[in-house]
Order: sequence, then structure tokens, then C-alpha cells
Amino acid sequence: MLILSSVFVPVLWGVMLLLLPEFKSRGRLLTVSGIGLSLAACLGLAAMLGGEPELFLFSFGSNLSVYFRIDEVGRLFAAVVIFVWLLAGFYAFEYMKHEKEEKRYFGFYLMVFGILHGLVFAGNMVTFYLCYELMTLLSFPLILHNRSKEAIMGGLKYLFYSLFGAYLVLFGLFFLNKYTTVLTFLPEGTLNLDAVAGNETILLIAVFSMILGFSVKAGMFPLHAWLPTAHPVAPAPASAVMSGIIVKVGVLGIIRVVYYLVGADFIRGSWVQTAWMSLSLITVFMGSMLAYREKVLKKRLAYSTVSQASYILFGLSLLQAQAVTGALLHVVFHAIIKSCLFLFAGAVIFKTGKTRVEELRGIGKEMPVALWCYTFAGAALIGIPPASGFISKWHLALGALGSGIPVFSWLGPVVLLISALLTAGYLLPITVQGFLPGADYGDAAVKKKEPGPVMLLPLLIFAVLALAFGLFPTALTEYISAIVGGIV
Amino acid sequence: MIALIYLLIFMPMAAALLSYLIGRRAKTARDAFVCLVVVAEFVLSLTLHTLGWGDHGVISLPGICGMGLHFTLDGFRAIYVSIACFMWMMTGLFSPEYFAHYHNRSRYYFFNLITLGATVAIFLSADLYTTFIFFELMSLASYVWVAQDEKPAALRAAGTYLAVAVMGGMALLMGLFLLYHETGTLMIAELPAACEGKNLYAAAICMFVGFGAKAGAFPMHIWLPKAHPVAPAPASALLSGILTKTGIFGLLVISCKMLLNDELWSTFILLVGVVTMFLGALLALFSVDFKRTLACSSVSQIGFIMVGLGMFGLLGEENSLAMQGTFLHMMNHSLFKLVLFLTAAVIFMNTHKLDLNEIRGFGRKKPLLGFCFLMGALGIGGIPMWSGYISKTLIHESIVEYIHGLQGGHFLPGILTEGHMHAIEWIFLISGGLTLAYMCKLYVAVFVERNEDPAVQRAYDEKKPYMNRISAAALTISAAVIPYLGASPHETMDHLTDLAQSFFGVEHAAHVALYFNWINVKGSFISLCVGTFVYVLVVRGWMMRRELSGIRRYVNRWPAFLDLEEAVYRPVLLRLLPGVLGTVCRIMDGFVDVLAKALIAIGSVLAGIADIFVDGIVVLLRRTIYRDSPKPAELEEGNALTHSLGMLLNSMTQPLNKTFRRNREEKRDFEHWLVLKYASFKENLTVIGRSLSYGLVLFCLGLCATLLYLLISAFLK
Repeated sequence: MLILSSVFVPVLWGVMLLLLPEFKSRGRLLTVSGIGLSLAACLGLAAMLGGEPELFLFSFGSNLSVYFRIDEVGRLFAAVVIFVWLLAGFYAFEYMKHEKEEKRYFGFYLMVFGILHGLVFAGNMVTFYLCYELMTLLSFPLILHNRSKEAIMGGLKYLFYSLFGAYLVLFGLFFLNKYTTVLTFLPEGTLNLDAVAGNETILLIAVFSMILGFSVKAGMFPLHAWLPTAHPVAPAPASAVMSGIIVKVGVLGIIRVVYYLVGADFIRGSWVQTAWMSLSLITVFMGSMLAYREKVLKKRLAYSTVSQASYILFGLSLLQAQAVTGALLHVVFHAIIKSCLFLFAGAVIFKTGKTRVEELRGIGKEMPVALWCYTFAGAALIGIPPASGFISKWHLALGALGSGIPVFSWLGPVVLLISALLTAGYLLPITVQGFLPGADYGDAAVKKKEPGPVMLLPLLIFAVLALAFGLFPTALTEYISAIVGGIV
Repeated sequence: MIALIYLLIFMPMAAALLSYLIGRRAKTARDAFVCLVVVAEFVLSLTLHTLGWGDHGVISLPGICGMGLHFTLDGFRAIYVSIACFMWMMTGLFSPEYFAHYHNRSRYYFFNLITLGATVAIFLSADLYTTFIFFELMSLASYVWVAQDEKPAALRAAGTYLAVAVMGGMALLMGLFLLYHETGTLMIAELPAACEGKNLYAAAICMFVGFGAKAGAFPMHIWLPKAHPVAPAPASALLSGILTKTGIFGLLVISCKMLLNDELWSTFILLVGVVTMFLGALLALFSVDFKRTLACSSVSQIGFIMVGLGMFGLLGEENSLAMQGTFLHMMNHSLFKLVLFLTAAVIFMNTHKLDLNEIRGFGRKKPLLGFCFLMGALGIGGIPMWSGYISKTLIHESIVEYIHGLQGGHFLPGILTEGHMHAIEWIFLISGGLTLAYMCKLYVAVFVERNEDPAVQRAYDEKKPYMNRISAAALTISAAVIPYLGASPHETMDHLTDLAQSFFGVEHAAHVALYFNWINVKGSFISLCVGTFVYVLVVRGWMMRRELSGIRRYVNRWPAFLDLEEAVYRPVLLRLLPGVLGTVCRIMDGFVDVLAKALIAIGSVLAGIADIFVDGIVVLLRRTIYRDSPKPAELEEGNALTHSLGMLLNSMTQPLNKTFRRNREEKRDFEHWLVLKYASFKENLTVIGRSLSYGLVLFCLGLCATLLYLLISAFLK
């Protein structure tokens, strides 16, 4: 029941919000949304920690059923989803003040929350695919929220890319259905080896098309282009959860396909692995490079997401235990870090209306606490020890070296480090110019513009976590290693 | 011991936060607090020596940052921690006066103390992972020193510093990845065994870039000449004296633990050292900025240390002299730069200038300042009785020893032959001479010559007191150490090397019996001759120009285009690479969008073709099977009847209009009207003729006719 209610209660709550007439006061809207958010988070947590291990809902046919099952990877992603979604939701309570139609935003926000629960708890590919499509459609209104021309075009781009990806996934799913015994997620995969024999090529193509399909959400070249278009036009908390969560859902999809349906052994050494590694490395570099040259802060962060999400994909593509550990660590860290960075960008927009990087000179004098949060998160993203990004990159690089794959084993760490350098190049100048605007900057005229506690607190929590996970990563690393031990 | 080590590392970091909080309330209290902290830190570092200098095992904080933090203590580490704390104490005591007119002092002290903790941690680190973590922390925290006054030049230099630090950090990290992958450990003590028989050159080169960038080795030395002139002088002293040594510490780990006595590696270090040593000295000689000269001098002295380190590797079993030289020159250079930069601090806080022409004559009638500067200058110049002489002699001795070894067949000539080594020896001596020449240039300019403007000179002469008592004490004590060490090498420096040798893997090093005999003094004497020659001919002759007023001024003769940073690094890294690669990425970025658009365009063309294809079939059919009936000829308008009737009516209306209908004239053209009527009549006929009901009526009529016919025929039968 817990699983079911964690999915349906937020969805119904969201529908209710949308159907109710306009609230008389903003306070009532926030109360209703706040209760919905908290309830959803509590139900999600309860399902994740104490829920029934599996739930069979109904069946469309022989192999097609809606089926939920909670496993360790699901728990990990559920924790990230619930945490980030909740904090970004509360952040929006203040941020959305300067946008219209808040009711619609919170309504869809809650509905996606419920669907995400379904996604992370999905027990087979059919359920996953169903929720995946629903998530795409329901998150679409979050992007085009302000209904300007750019927002609508950005939203449409998101929609079309996502649908294209979904069809690629569907294409692969037909074949997987044929060559697997069941579509249930099981460690080591469920390939029907008798059926596969002789049909390896077609199955590899199917797997590759599924990887490509999910990589649309994860922003891997060549299907990454929706990110830099959609992020700047969406409200900041929506950008935060898109980079923090929705991108990660694509990653989860790939994990499910590669490690839970097909099995890592099947694609090890095949052209699929080579292509996947190449594409992800290209994306790592390309994203950083474009972020480095981008002048609009939120767009810069979007390109940064393109690059960082491919760190994760590169780690997964190596099919090596330590690299996958690094990748999963980076899922957690990047969700925290990038949410923090986007919330900072949102705080700046909310307080000053500035969107371009060069306008941020001296911002550290106006909003020091927010910029400190940004700095810590930025240091974590670059991978400066002892912040968290360093830990995941350490595992990724050592995993790459340990994989023993020719060329990629050393090229990977080199590209990761060059990208880290570029990351420093696009994140640090904001801190530097923010805190050290130069001797000619009028200190006297500076007014404090620190955002209110509702916006500042999520920022602070994210920043502290970005640092704390770097200092004390052992528990998380061990938890993830245990997961990885079962699948690689 | 555990508590002591943690206290040494984390106490300054905690104090940093505390000082910032205090600084928001009371500035004087904060200054006093910071002085207290640095003094306490120095005292703590001295108590390290009471623990004994042997191997103390490893202390760990497991799990922190993943692999845990590990610290250890031995003679070398204890000495270097003490030197670091000594320098921090002296600059710290000097700071309240120096920074009196600065903004954002709390920020400076905050990062100053953070850097202190990190630097101590680097020297105490037992594994390279810990080293790296604190290395990064130190690099980023010390960035704020360089940018402290936020002037454009300072921000630009700070940018260079940060870029070198970050890039160096990345290279270092890559080196650590490779090292850890090859050996499976980063514990410094375990490295010698773990590195046996492994190919570690790639790792070593990456680590060299990282550590060398901090040390100031060519070609990563660019940040020193830029950062030092703009950083506050006490910070410069630390940057030059201690932060560069953390880089050297890393190089020591490579040379002594990873690639001990590896010929290829040692030769590499030696050659880089030779280039750094000579180039730095040359840059220093050309400079006309007091602190820039000192910064370039640091580059050069780091080169001397690297030459010692290279010789240490080449000499194999007989490396004890080289080890002593390397270690002592490291230590001595820290102390020299402390004194010299504090002198620069005194000059700058009184004049706010550093150009030699402007500060000329400042030091006249200031015997204490002159004395202190002279101690540093003579020390760094390697004059007998000052400590620099000892370390330089030891390094020189090790070169000579290697040459003798090559001559005697004790060493087989490898990459470097005897001729090469002779050349290196001469470059070494000439660099020593250049050191003397540029120090002489500074001394003469500041302490001997008069300022070109008599009014300024008068103001300089009358400046009293030019520093307060605490600053004076800090400067004097720092200066007094140098001749003390230099005059009693056997009592002081030999002991220090005994304590430090275990880190280098040397046991029971043999000491030089007599430092002051002719063979040893000869090298110094050659350098002295070269220095005098260069100073008199080059500096006085070529690097000064007589102005119209008859005054000789110092001019910078260094060609402006010979600037590695401006000519190569910045254009390549900031414009060329981002430009080219960025364009490629931009193309890739738009790839799918363009592809989608292209596909749509191609699709529409194809659909158009398909469209035409179907249309074509229709056209074909219409031309053949479904041919249209020929289009009927245009109907004439009206016929003869309508025309004649119309004309008749028209002719009738004319008279009628003039008579009966005068009031309401008939204006119709009846001919036209009738044509229209006729056309509409015909159209009606056509419509009726083509309508279904007409057809049905005809059909009905047909049926009726048939019925009629049947009836009639039946009736007739």
C-alpha cells in the first residue's frame, strides 16, 4: 500500500490543486502545497524504508504488467529524488512569488513527484517506461511555466527530444521483450541465452538504441541539446530539479537496461561499449567547453550538467566496479551540487534580476551567504578536495585506469581532468569577481540583498551536504559498493 | 604526539574562524589574537622536537575524504614545520603594522591562518593523498593573499596564480591516479618498496608539473614574478619562502621515494634545475622592481635546489653531500627570503613604491635596515661566513664529486658526459655570480645611492621611526639567524642535516671536514669575480641610462615580448584553444538541431516529389482515360434578337426621357440588360438541365412515355 500511496497521493493531490478554484490568499495555496509536498515525501520515505518489497498492480497481457519492486538502487535514487524535490519545492515557495499561476506550478510539481516515486520503485521495464513517459509529459508544463515565446519553444524542444528518446527506448524494448525471459529488473540481467544465440547483433543494436534513448534525458551527445534551451527559460527551482533529478532518471534508465536487464557481461567489449564510452567522453569535454564560453549563468549551468551527467555515463560505460561506484556517487553529489548552483542562480534572479555572468561582479558583497554556498558547491563540482565531487572523480578515474580498456583507461581520466579544469574556468570567476570586485567597486553603496530564509535554507543545506559528503564519504561509498558488487 | 600534531594543523584553522569573528567587533583585538596564534604555533612546533626525531609511525584519521588522512613525524618534517612556523610568526608579528592601512584585513588573516594549517599539514603528511588535499587547500587559500588589494594588476596576477595552481593541481591529481594505479598505495613510507620495478615516468612527470608549478620550476615559474610584486610583502615572504618549498617537498618525494637514484629522472631534474637557476638569475638581474627581483631570485634559488636534487639522484651511493646541500639550501632560502621580503615590506609601507628609481636612497641613514638586508643578500649570494655559502658549496661539491667520479671511471657516463658536467658547473658558478650582481644592484640602489629628487631624499632621511619595535625585532631576529648558522656550520647545520637525512633515505652522512678551506672557497671566489664583473660592466654600464638631466636611472632592458605568460600561455590557453575547440564543440552542439532541420527539409522535398508523383498519375489519367470533354467555346453575349430588341428599346427611351419621364429618367441600357436577362435565362436552363430533379423528371417522363407506349401497344393488339 505504501508504494501505491506514495505514487497516487501526490498525483491526486496535484490534480486536486489544479481543479480547485483560485485560492483567496497565497498563504492558503502554500499551506495546501506544503502539506502535499511533505505528505508525498513522507510516503516516499516510508515506502523506501519500510514498504512492502514488491507490489503487483495489474497486467496488460502475458509479459506486460505494472509491477513495483524496491531494490537498493531504487532506494538510493528514491532518497536523492525525495530530498532534492522537497527542498527545491520549499525554495519555490518564495521564488515563485514573482511568477504567475503558482497553483499550476505546484500542481504539476506534485504530480511529477508522485510519478517519480513510481519510476524509482518500478520493478520492470514496462512500469518504468510508463512512468518515464508520464514524467516527460507532466514535467513539460514546469518548463514552459511563464509562457513566453522562448519558454514555449524550450518546452517543445524538451518534449520532442524526450519523445524521440522514448521511441528509441520503445524500439529497443520490443527486442528486449523477445530476448529476455522476463522484463523484471534482476541483478546480472534476465537474458534468455538460447533465444539470443545467433541474434547478438540485433540485440546489441536494440541495447544501444535504448542507451541512446535514455541518454536524451541524461543529456549525452548527440541528444543533449534540449538542456541548454530548456533550463534558462524554466523557473529556477524547476531548472534545479531538472538538472538534479530528471537528468538522473535517464541515468537510472540506462542502469536498469544495462545492469538489470541485459547484464554488463553482454556488452562488455562490444562496439556498444566503445561507442558509449566515446560519446560520453565527447560530451564531458564538449559540455565543459561550451559552459566555459557561455555567458548566461543558467545556460552555463545547463551545459555544465551536460558535461557532469556524462561523467556518470562514462563511469557506467566502463562496466567496472569502482567506476560504477564513482558514477553512482556522482549521481548523488551532482544532484546536490547542481541543485545548489541553480538555486543560487535563482536567488540572484529573484533578488537582482541579473542573468548574465558579467553582471555578477560584486555579488558577494550583496549576498555573501548565497555566494559562499555557490562557492562550496562549485568547489565540489570542480573536484577540489575535500569537497564531495573529488571523491566521485577519484573513483571514476581509478576505475577507468583499473578497467584496462585500451586507450580509454588513460584517456578517460585525462578528459575528466581537462573538463575539471574547464569547470574551474567557468565556475570560479563568478566567485572571484563576486567577492573581489576590484578596488574601484563602491563598497559604500552596497546594499545587502540576501534572500529570505525560505530560499537561503535549501541553499545552505545543499552546500553543507556538498562539503560534508566529501569529508565523510565512507558510509555512502560502502553502501554503493555493496550495490555495485551485486551487479558488476 | 597525536594531540600535538592535530593541534598544529587544526588549531590555526579554528583560530582563523575565530579571528574573523573577533575582527568584526574589534580590529586591535584581532591583530593581537593573530599574533598570539602564530607565536603559539611556533612554540608548539618547537615542542615537536622534544618528541625525538626518529620514525614515529603513522597517525590516521580514517575515512575522512574517503581514503583517510595520514600524518607522520620525522626529523625532516619536524625541522620544516618549525621553519614554516618561524616564518609565519615573524611575518605575523610584522603584519599589524604593515597592514594598518589595508581594507579587508580580517579576510587576509582568515586565509593566512588557513594556509598556515594547510602548509603544516603538507609537511606532516604521511601519504600523498593527504598531501594533495592540503596542497589544494593551501593553493586556494593563498590565492586571496595575492588578490588582497584588488587592484587590476593584483587581480590579474592572482588570476595567473590561481590558474597555475588549478592546472598544477589537476596534473598532480593525474600523477596520483597513475601512481596509485601502478603501486596500490600512496603512503610515502611504503612507496620505495611499492615502486620497485614499475614504470612510473608518466606519473612522475604529471606530479612534477603539479609540484613544480608550486615550486616555481621552469616553465611553470610564471606566477612568481607576477604575484610577488602585487601581493602584500609579508605574504610574499611566505609565498616565496615556504609555499614554494611545499612544491620542493613533493619533488623530494618523487626523487627520494619513487625514483630513487633513477638516472633518467635525476638528469631531467638536474637539467630543469639548471635552466630554472640560470633563467631566474637573469630575470632578476634585468628587473627594476625590488620585489620582482626577489621573486625572480626565488625562481633561481629553486633552480639551485633542484640542481642539488638532481645530483642527489645521480650520485647513487655517494649522495650524502648532495642531500645536505639540497636540504640546507631549501632551509636557507626560506630564511633569506623572509629577511629580504620583510625589508621590502619596510620599504613599501613607508613609500608605497617598489620601483628602484623611486625608492632609491630610501635606506640611507637606516643602519638597522641596511644591516638586515645585507645579511639576507650576503647569505643568498653565498659569501663565506653566511649560511648560503655552506649549502651552495655542498651542491657545488657534489657536482665536482660527480665529475671526479666520471674521470676516475667510478661512474659510467650516461646521458651526461664529463663535458656536460663541466658546463653545468660553470653555469652554476655564473648563476651564483649573477645572484651577487642583482643583490648588489638592490643594495646599492636602496642603501648607497641618493634619490634623484633631493626633496624625496630629504623626506626619506627624515622618516623616523620607519617601523615599530615589534616589526624591528622580527626583522632583526630573522636576519641574525643567517650569520649565526653560517659562522658555525659544524655546530648547527651539520646537526640539522643529521636529523633530516632519514627522509632522504641517507644514513650516517659524511660531513665536509672543513668548509672554509681554499678548495671550497674557490667556487665562491669565482662567483664573486663573475658577480663583480657583471655588476660593474652590465648593470652600471648597460642597465642604467643617463637622462637629459644628467641623472643615471635604472631601465628595464628585458625585451617585452620575451614573456612566456603573455606571449604563449595566455594566448594559447585563453584564446587559441577555447577558440578552436569551442568552435568544434559549438558545431557539435548544434549538430542534432541542424540534422533535424535538414531531415525536415529533405523530408518535405521527398514528400513534394511523392506528391507530384500522385498528381502526375492523375494528370496522366486525365490526359488519357478520363479526358475532359473539350471546353465549350465562349458563348456570345446575347443573340440577334436581344440586340435588335435592345436597340429598339434604347431608341424609344430617348424621346420618352425628354417628355413624359423627365422627372424620373430611364437610364438603363436595354441592349445590355436584355443580354444579361438572356444569359441568366440560359444559365437557369442549364442549371435546370443539369439538376438531379430535372433528370428525375426526365426519367419520370421517360417512364411515363414507356408506360404510355406499353399501354398503347397493348391496346392496339
